[in-house]
Amino acid sequence: MNVVIKKGCKLWNRRGEIALGQRFVRGKKSKRHCPITVLGMPDDDNIAMVVGEVPEQDDDDEAPLLVDAPELPRVPVTILSGYLGAGKTTLLNYILTQQHNKKVAVILNEFGEGSSIEKSLNVGHAGELYEEWLELRNGCLCCSVKDNGVKAIENLMKKRGKFDYILLETTGLADPGPIASLFWVDKQLESEVYLDGIITVLDSKYAQKNITEKRPDGQVNEAVRQVALADLLILNKTDLVDEAQLQFTTQLVRDINSSAPIINTQRCRVDLDKLLDLHAYDQFDSQGYETILEGRFEQGSPHLDQRVRTVTVEVWGSVTQKGLDTLAEVLLWERSLVTPSGEHPLIYRMKGLVSVVGEERRVMLQAVKELYEAEPVDAWPPSSPRSCKFIIIGENLDEGTIRQFLCSLITETSITLP
Amino acid sequence: MSANGVSSHVCETNGCGAEAKLQCPTCIKLGIQGSYFCSQSCFKGSWETHKVLHKKTRASNSGLSQYNPWPYYMFTGSLRPYPQSNKREVPPPIGRPDYADDPNGFPASEQKLRGTTSIKCLSDEEIEGMRVACKLAREVLDAGVNVAAAGVTTDEIDRVVHEAAVDRECYPSPLNYHGFPKSCCTSINEVICHGIPDMRPLQKGDICNIDVTVYHRDYHGDLNETLYIGEVSNTAKNLVKTTWECLQKSIEIVKPGVKYRDVGAVIQKHAHSQGFSVVRSYCGHGIHHLFHTAPSVPHYAKNKAVGIMKPGHSFTIEPMISEGTWKDEQWPDNWTAVTADGKLSAQFEETLLVTETGVEVLTRRREKSGQPYFMD
Repeated sequence: MNVVIKKGCKLWNRRGEIALGQRFVRGKKSKRHCPITVLGMPDDDNIAMVVGEVPEQDDDDEAPLLVDAPELPRVPVTILSGYLGAGKTTLLNYILTQQHNKKVAVILNEFGEGSSIEKSLNVGHAGELYEEWLELRNGCLCCSVKDNGVKAIENLMKKRGKFDYILLETTGLADPGPIASLFWVDKQLESEVYLDGIITVLDSKYAQKNITEKRPDGQVNEAVRQVALADLLILNKTDLVDEAQLQFTTQLVRDINSSAPIINTQRCRVDLDKLLDLHAYDQFDSQGYETILEGRFEQGSPHLDQRVRTVTVEVWGSVTQKGLDTLAEVLLWERSLVTPSGEHPLIYRMKGLVSVVGEERRVMLQAVKELYEAEPVDAWPPSSPRSCKFIIIGENLDEGTIRQFLCSLITETSITLP
Repeated sequence: MSANGVSSHVCETNGCGAEAKLQCPTCIKLGIQGSYFCSQSCFKGSWETHKVLHKKTRASNSGLSQYNPWPYYMFTGSLRPYPQSNKREVPPPIGRPDYADDPNGFPASEQKLRGTTSIKCLSDEEIEGMRVACKLAREVLDAGVNVAAAGVTTDEIDRVVHEAAVDRECYPSPLNYHGFPKSCCTSINEVICHGIPDMRPLQKGDICNIDVTVYHRDYHGDLNETLYIGEVSNTAKNLVKTTWECLQKSIEIVKPGVKYRDVGAVIQKHAHSQGFSVVRSYCGHGIHHLFHTAPSVPHYAKNKAVGIMKPGHSFTIEPMISEGTWKDEQWPDNWTAVTADGKLSAQFEETLLVTETGVEVLTRRREKSGQPYFMD
């Protein structure tokens, strides 16, 4: 039997945040002392109703007191990209065989094309290796929101228990963007996995060549895309190049992606801790942002004519919710801005912290290709003026054009500035 | 017959014979006719003998579902699968989509566009093609609805739908799509969607959704409605009505400039206001030459759907609203989606076209001022 209970009504034992699945007991004043499980959430525009389920029969015994529904930890998925031979497989094998007390699952060669029914998954746990199988069910591909691969992983975890981490290797020339989109699942779906970030592995010896190679059709090449979308960059095989080459390559990579930290490795020996918990899609790294700004003023870089660059923009003031949506739509969907050189910016990745009119908390914007999400995160630090700042990685970016557009959307500015 | 023309009943209890206006609820549920009693106390008195009737009916109902294809599976509700009939054929001259003849039902044309978010704007000619296909889809659904009643198997509905489609030079789109075995989807009670028609007779008190899609001259038209089978519970009535209203409300906001993302907010708001939940795993979809394509239209709020409506876009909205939890599960047949708690779920769907000024409901019902069948 469903019961509709109004939030704030004295029937609740406890006020405040309610989570799905939490169990409550009707208040002491009520005669019927029975447990209620929260099945639905109130809407944001203050329709204050929570659906509770009351069991058919009254319990004879005293109903148990409040029980907090335990928060189910979600499993991070890291996408590993990089050219063939850069060292991805070495890295993965290294991770799998390492002595650590984490249960790590590795999926080689992503899910590929076509309609394969099964996909193998390698698991490393405390130095032991074994293989599992993912069942990619074919039915119901049509109108289901979650990708087959995501569902297959969830099903496997239901049967075999959760992994601590999942690493997904993409094929050499793949653009990691679409794969990342599959795992960047709407929070409402309460998936057991979440996208932690994209790691790109580069071969120090060949990175420069790969990055600067021009495609016959004039399009941006895959190596550049893989660097641009990375949340962490691994420059591998540093023992095979000299200092000057390493510096050059590092700067080249920096120019494309100023946001992701770079780790130099040999034979991909790197601590698991550095690779995991990137939280690239659910946290805005303010510290990292400052680092980028500082980096701007460093020595001039060998500005090879790179179409893909990182741009930072910060503007004082606040935008409306609608303004924020417009920003995302114009930049990511319509792509209608025009730079002075007559081109349209094409954004691969965008991260921002935005001040929204009427919202007390900072709003974090995350975007990859055309998918974007804006969520309030934490309160504005006291005495910090409201501003909107963005890190944008993409093609044909012109800071001035983007700044101008952003300014046009600002509707409120703080009166007091430091 | 009594004076005012209403038949009166006599109490079942042996030796009673008083006028009976009360009925056994279990009998209603099981579809057993004529279990009338004059009072609760009388009913209790003959309960021991009466309940045997239930047992017998249940046993004979399950006669066909001694058929238990998945002995290890824990069903979430009381519905069980029944045997299916053989695959139906579509005679040659009718145009077939690419997946019809693929051994796995694989839609190559859809796979090519998998992952793209760009939405096709139909030309005038294509719009006309869609209009025709959708009108025929509605006629085919009409035919299916007309035979749906207690005692009729969902397989029979499927046969009628299949033949109605063929009669109109249409290929029933679900047939062999990713290997789907039948020509329409029949979803009863706790089944959310993609129920496979089988030999189970509909029972009084069931709610049944019939989902019809047809492919006519290279265009697909997709729609579905939930029906009452006999008298249904008040909860069921409220659920079905709310679901239909969710669809209507979401159609009202469709016009150029609206984001596909916003459809879900409207649906969720209304569903929650009635204490129901919105199924999240399945969404509306673009439809024209392809059965399912961009855009993806989730029915829940706060989603990342990409795209803004423009004139010439054609897509479906098909909210699935559940009595209890929004979570779903899948039967081992890899198709039937059921509510995780076994409670009821209803659905309605229309194919829509965005026009210069608003929306055209391509699959709308042409008679009875477009009201849904459950209101008839």
